[in-house]
Amino acid sequence: MYIIKNALKSITRNKLRNILIGVIVLIISVSACAALSIQQAAEAAREDTLSSLNVTAQISFDRKKAMEEMSKNDDSDSDEGFDRGKFDFDVLQGSSLTLDDYMKYTKALTKSDGYYYSGAISLDATGDLIPYGTSEDSEDSDSKSSDSQENGNMPGQPPQMDSDSSKSFGMPFQVNQGDFSITGYSSSDAMLSMFGEDGSYKITDGSMFDFSSSDYECIISNELAVYNNLKVGDTIKLANPSYEKETYKLKITGIYTNSDSSSEENNRFRMNDPANNIYMSYKAFSKLIKASEKADNKTTDSDGNETSAVLSENMAFTYTFANVENYEKFSKKVYDLGLSDDYKVSSSDLQAYENSLTPLNTLSSTAMWFFFIVLGVGGIILITLNIFNLRERKYEVGVLTAIGMKKAKVALQFITEIFIVTMIAMIIGSSIGSAVSVPLTNTLLANQISSSQSSQDKVNDNFGFKNDKSDSGMSEPPQGFGRVSSAVKYVDSVSSASNIFVILELALVGLFLILISGLAALVSIMRYEPLKILSNRS
Amino acid sequence: MSKLKLNNVSYRYEKSSENVLDNVCMDFDAGKIYTIVGKSGAGKTTLLSVLSSLARLTGGEILLDDQNVAKIDRYRFRSKYVGVIFQSFNLLTHLTALENVVLSMDISGKSFDTPKKELALELLGKVGLSADEAKRRVLKLSGGQQQRCAIARAVISHPSMILADEPTGNLDAETQDEIIGLFKMLASEGKCVIIVTHSADVAAASDVTYELKKA
Repeated sequence: MYIIKNALKSITRNKLRNILIGVIVLIISVSACAALSIQQAAEAAREDTLSSLNVTAQISFDRKKAMEEMSKNDDSDSDEGFDRGKFDFDVLQGSSLTLDDYMKYTKALTKSDGYYYSGAISLDATGDLIPYGTSEDSEDSDSKSSDSQENGNMPGQPPQMDSDSSKSFGMPFQVNQGDFSITGYSSSDAMLSMFGEDGSYKITDGSMFDFSSSDYECIISNELAVYNNLKVGDTIKLANPSYEKETYKLKITGIYTNSDSSSEENNRFRMNDPANNIYMSYKAFSKLIKASEKADNKTTDSDGNETSAVLSENMAFTYTFANVENYEKFSKKVYDLGLSDDYKVSSSDLQAYENSLTPLNTLSSTAMWFFFIVLGVGGIILITLNIFNLRERKYEVGVLTAIGMKKAKVALQFITEIFIVTMIAMIIGSSIGSAVSVPLTNTLLANQISSSQSSQDKVNDNFGFKNDKSDSGMSEPPQGFGRVSSAVKYVDSVSSASNIFVILELALVGLFLILISGLAALVSIMRYEPLKILSNRS
Repeated sequence: MSKLKLNNVSYRYEKSSENVLDNVCMDFDAGKIYTIVGKSGAGKTTLLSVLSSLARLTGGEILLDDQNVAKIDRYRFRSKYVGVIFQSFNLLTHLTALENVVLSMDISGKSFDTPKKELALELLGKVGLSADEAKRRVLKLSGGQQQRCAIARAVISHPSMILADEPTGNLDAETQDEIIGLFKMLASEGKCVIIVTHSADVAAASDVTYELKKA
């Protein structure tokens, strides 16, 4: 008890020195609290985002791997280096998986997981139907060109590529040239991103087609309806872009509006204008494809070469998961079910999730480095101060041990002093750190996002892409093939940072500081001999 | 039976080839005042350091009530069995006289029936420090007052031996008499008082005088 009493007296006696020690500990504790809070916030944000994340995954051909293998083969075949002309784009496209294949892999799902799918083709307008956005000048113009173009697909919609025509040109990404994009959906889940809570689509007239029906029924955009004076119950006639005599009649069951207005710039091709998107059930869509296969029409070019005009769908199959663990299990299990190594399982949601945390993770990492540097430098200063402190109080140690106080008790008194000063400074520092950690984190995060955004904008600018900003202030780089990066919604704020874990970690930091300072005291005191100290003093 | 017995006690400083104390034999009994005299450098203060376990013997043994002192924890020995009055007092200058005495009581680990402060004030009063002086910082006390405080600190925990190094060295004749009176009082209480001194008056007041000669 008297040790604590003496320690307290000693603290009040040496105010200036203890204030100096306290200030150093305060700086360490504020930076520790801020850094640990940022780290905790990053962890909390990670968990929160993850728990609310609807994980979806797709199986796709691994082009990167194929490229690498082709490159290896090229190297082994020839010593003359990389020969671009030897690249086989058919190999790079890979063979498409069929619906049966995709369904086979659903066996790798757990009960809480699910799936949906869609198919897409492009059809031409025929009869009186005019695609939205057609002017007299531009009609029958470049919309049928085969340049690479912006991808105006809606969420959940498969990429618009005509593999047959692309193969005929020897190009991997040749796009379809029809006027309309026709997409068939397996269930309402497949359209949730469009018509769901966060979607921008809404049926304003009529109703959604029946997903279980194979009747040729569809929904069209309000723009297209107005443009062609169409209403619910009317029928539209569409033609195979490769064989105009092959036509299909679709009955309009509903008209939708899309609050994301179409951009002229992004829709150089009519089928990519959201207004020219026509949606139907996958059953009806599948029936349409089968009808085309049955017709088996062919076209002949000027050289007399015959090409199949059968409509070929681009399929998108999406697996949905209750959590990330299920996704990871699925990713392994599908290969056991026979999926070739040429295919990969990927989740754009997880990728977007990881991207969204990038600034926070970077900030967390930087903050931790800063904290370790402050802790290291502060620790060294504390040790030095304590060594000087002990040298100054050598006489006191000598007297106390000369009148019978054990060295261990003297050391304990010194450590108690360090403990009290450190704890008081830690409590004040932690309080300050807790109070400032949230605004500090958000300010630093804003700077980090701004920095990330600037560099991304710079890259997009260099590539000539337009940098758009959405109303939410989130980063929304333009979409499409060839873009530098996809849109990233960064985690841009944290609501709370300090919690029990931060407090416990701070307590450990305090303990560490006490230990290193106390160790200096302990070593010095144990080396002192009272007789020598008192003789020197005399 | 002697209270304290020195059997062929020798002591040599580190890095020195000569003994400061060489085969010293002495007996000390309880209730008596002993003075140790000798020329400067004869080893008087060293002997006191050896007796208080501040210095470790290089030869011989010291027996306290027939028990080898080397086998007693030296911190425990200093806090319980011996009260040391240093030549330069060695008081903690940042504390008051009272606090110095109370600290010694705390360190001894002994229990007291009366509150420590009360006991310390009473003893300080006995050695001639008023309550007001007792509450002053040591640095604000005169040499004589500091000496009295050092005596109080040494005896407060009722050690069986009092070791004093030149306890009257800086004192005027009147104060010196008072201090000698104090030692006589302690001896009358059954304590063994050992005083290292140059003073003939102090030596004359003692029961036994040992003279140390340079080894």
